[in-house]
Amino acid sequence: MRSLLAMEFGKVARLASVRFSAVLLVLFPILWAYAPGIYSVYGFYLVSAYQVPALSLLSSMQFLLPLLVAITSAELLGMELSHGTLPTVLLRPVSRSQWLLAKLLVASVYPFAVLALFFVVSLIAGAPYGYGSFVGGTGLGQAGLLGQGTMQAAHALREVAGAYLVAAYSLVPVSLLGVLFTVVFMNAAGGALATLSVLIFMQLLVVFPGLTPYLLTTQLNAYAKPVANMGWVSALIALYCAAFAAVSVVLFERKDF
Amino acid sequence: MPTPSIEVAHLTKRYGKRPVVRDMSFTVNAGEVYALVGPNGAGKTTVIRLVAGLAFPSEGSVRMLGTNPHQEPAVRRKLGAVVEAPAAFYPYLTGRGNLHLHGRLAGGVADERIDEVLDMMELGNAAERRVGVYSLGMRQRLGVAAALLTRPEVLILDEPASGMDPLSLHLVHSVLREAASSGTAVLLSTHHLDEVVAYCTRVAIMEEGALIDEVNLLDRRERYRVWVDRPHDARALLETQPWIRHAAVRGEEVVFIPAEAGVIGRVTAALSEAGIAVFELTRDIFDLRGYYRERVSNERSRRSGAWAPADPRMSGEREGEA
Repeated sequence: MRSLLAMEFGKVARLASVRFSAVLLVLFPILWAYAPGIYSVYGFYLVSAYQVPALSLLSSMQFLLPLLVAITSAELLGMELSHGTLPTVLLRPVSRSQWLLAKLLVASVYPFAVLALFFVVSLIAGAPYGYGSFVGGTGLGQAGLLGQGTMQAAHALREVAGAYLVAAYSLVPVSLLGVLFTVVFMNAAGGALATLSVLIFMQLLVVFPGLTPYLLTTQLNAYAKPVANMGWVSALIALYCAAFAAVSVVLFERKDF
Repeated sequence: MPTPSIEVAHLTKRYGKRPVVRDMSFTVNAGEVYALVGPNGAGKTTVIRLVAGLAFPSEGSVRMLGTNPHQEPAVRRKLGAVVEAPAAFYPYLTGRGNLHLHGRLAGGVADERIDEVLDMMELGNAAERRVGVYSLGMRQRLGVAAALLTRPEVLILDEPASGMDPLSLHLVHSVLREAASSGTAVLLSTHHLDEVVAYCTRVAIMEEGALIDEVNLLDRRERYRVWVDRPHDARALLETQPWIRHAAVRGEEVVFIPAEAGVIGRVTAALSEAGIAVFELTRDIFDLRGYYRERVSNERSRRSGAWAPADPRMSGEREGEA
């Protein structure tokens, strides 16, 4: 299994979607840090480097990041289909579930890698605003961007890093859903688009208030939630992950190639 | 009796309600080369995939080395297979890199073995080139190299020679023949009927998902025909000889299979001694192409309800006269 995992992690860097995502993840914070229309759209001026990662996350978590994660997770399996290597791999003495579990594990780790890059680039992009203490908030705490007086640099960094960690965790089910739909449709485009469709569909379900707290799309906002709720949110996200992974494995075990 | 390396029993595969493989049964023993031939769409690739464990049978069973490959994936350690034409590899890796990867998936293969199979398939010079720039024939040869990597007991190959030039074709076939002679069971699908006659042990003819005929090519390869003035007397005489396994009349000729090599001289001597004039004695080259055409067209006629016996001159002896 270790050898299998090493191979699967090795393949990720070769994916076109990973390179494409990396370009967007580098460009996005740079553009947002110096965008002339920030005040007219959001109603505030950036005053600290720690606000840039917050702004990047706030403006990309609902659409861009889930989409990038879904495309790559779909391509993880889709590249085997497009190269025709899937049957070749399955003819080796590796069980189907072992092989797919390796893919699912890579898909689970991928959102953390994406958010790590996004965080680092955002912090660097905010360098001209300075890394010291500042008056205001990061945008990710209770007091939003206006804050409650002076915010210490260490506190700001902790707050932003914690939010990125939670955001990455909440993207894991999206990634696994991408794998699941690729197993269903047996092509990467189908997998990514079906994932996106489901996310949009879930967002439209806000008209059912009783359902809203349980929706996957609601959990994508977990990074901005008070810490007290995190236990429940974590459990729900874990449940989504387990369900998507289990269904993927069950379907994959029964597929004809 | 030893367990067959591949045992297929009443195999049926349906996609929806449409059967693509119907009630197929056959076995492949160690050291045999078993060929599946048939028109496009006959179901050869589906059978290959079912046997390799990539697809699930709707009915019937497949056993590889006595076990079900779906239930015991470990049996695939003893399997080498190419089920894609052209063989599929990661295009960004070199030929050697791809074989390394296959070796790791198989549980580890020595570098020397990788060199050995690359040289065997005449890919030593291209080993460090990315597979993305390989020609179709090179990919196919790399596919065979990957299949041979673990010295498998069972080899399953779907159209291993498609897109190959005559030299590569000869190379692949001689490698497969060598693998079989060292005890590997080989199951392959192909359209190269001449090559099939040259080295396969048995051939299964498929049409519309069904096995319509199975021919033992070992017997066919060792077959001779002798043109004589009294064929029925000649057959009766030859049948009594211990060094003749089988004799049958075909027109003015007697077709016979010697029980051992080097007895052909004895045939003319025995016939002359009995006063039977011998005009010609030659090896009877089996016309698989003609036989295949006849069997497939008969099957099609039978299915469409217009079956008629084919011209016996097309195929071989008239069994009724044997």
